[in-house]
Amino acid sequence: MTTLGWSLVELSARLLERDEREFVLGDLAEDRECVWHGLLEVLGLFFRRQALLWRDVRPWMAGFLLVWPASHLLIHVSISVTSTYERLVYHRIFLENPHTGNEGFLLWVCHILLLVAWSWATGYVVGSISRRTAWASVALGMAACNYTLGTMCVGGIPRLCLFLFVPPALAGMWHGLRQTVRINQTRATVVAISITVLMMFASLSHALWVLNWALIGPAWYLVVIASKPAVRAVALTEGNAG
Amino acid sequence: MRCKKALDQLDDYYHNVAIIMLGEFEYLLITAAAGLGDDAYGAAISEEIKTATGRKCSLGALYTTIDRLETKGLLKTWMGNATAQRGGRAKRMIRVTPKGVLAAKEFYDAVTRVSRGAAWAENQAGGSS
Repeated sequence: MTTLGWSLVELSARLLERDEREFVLGDLAEDRECVWHGLLEVLGLFFRRQALLWRDVRPWMAGFLLVWPASHLLIHVSISVTSTYERLVYHRIFLENPHTGNEGFLLWVCHILLLVAWSWATGYVVGSISRRTAWASVALGMAACNYTLGTMCVGGIPRLCLFLFVPPALAGMWHGLRQTVRINQTRATVVAISITVLMMFASLSHALWVLNWALIGPAWYLVVIASKPAVRAVALTEGNAG
Repeated sequence: MRCKKALDQLDDYYHNVAIIMLGEFEYLLITAAAGLGDDAYGAAISEEIKTATGRKCSLGALYTTIDRLETKGLLKTWMGNATAQRGGRAKRMIRVTPKGVLAAKEFYDAVTRVSRGAAWAENQAGGSS
């Protein structure tokens, strides 16, 4: 195997985990086969590993029960926050999309806080239950956004404002992926109670879409996980594996 | 006592499941690893299987099967020392556990029993035609 060919195999082996990369490259060095054979072996192992991850139910749950519906809902909340801002600050009302009513500044701030908290909690749960398939969850989220944008009329709202939920969702996902110990129970409870109180306030002010109640799920899921030590340990182990 | 009995039954259940689930490639792998003893690692097992069957197994098939068998408790693996022959890379050393030996023996016995009287089986009563 030439030096260039071997570099190519080493580069492809970066798809594997560190320990696995070590012994797989060692086996290939011992085998002394051609570059293409080495590449096929490494890529074959990588794709087998990826395929095995999808035999678990959690990546599917993260994708289709969390990311897909939450992306639809959160894009609507982003539009609502932007529309309310445009109405309150610039007195502009987009008649073609009724995402704002008579909310004042207080409800607007409440919606912003909810948008951030919902997005962060959803991202955290997605990151923690499907660590190795997080890339697929992100891709599905992007597809959901694309689908929503293609099917709804957003009027004169700046396109960038439709993705207000993306930074907190990615931050939550990052925290979920990096968390070596599950979220602290007190912190999870504070987040869940804050979200519930804000949602009740918005609901009593007739400024909450009924479907948005579904977004309370991830926050309370974190509380349940944090309050069960045994389940927490299992979830952590499986999370690392999956 | 009841709790212990229930746990024993559960252990038996998983033991049986492990034996039932042993496939032919898993059997080949365990047998090759057991034959190599302390020198059992990925490339050596692959070479043994190639010698025995005439077909080379891919690293993907080999290592995903090793992971599966380790999860079932039939194998134990650890990172070995690096050698110059491998470009200074470490080996993934493999040892068959007593549970693995038992599973392989059960598989072998089952194959031997079911092959008794088959035309291709050697040393069958009455000889081959």
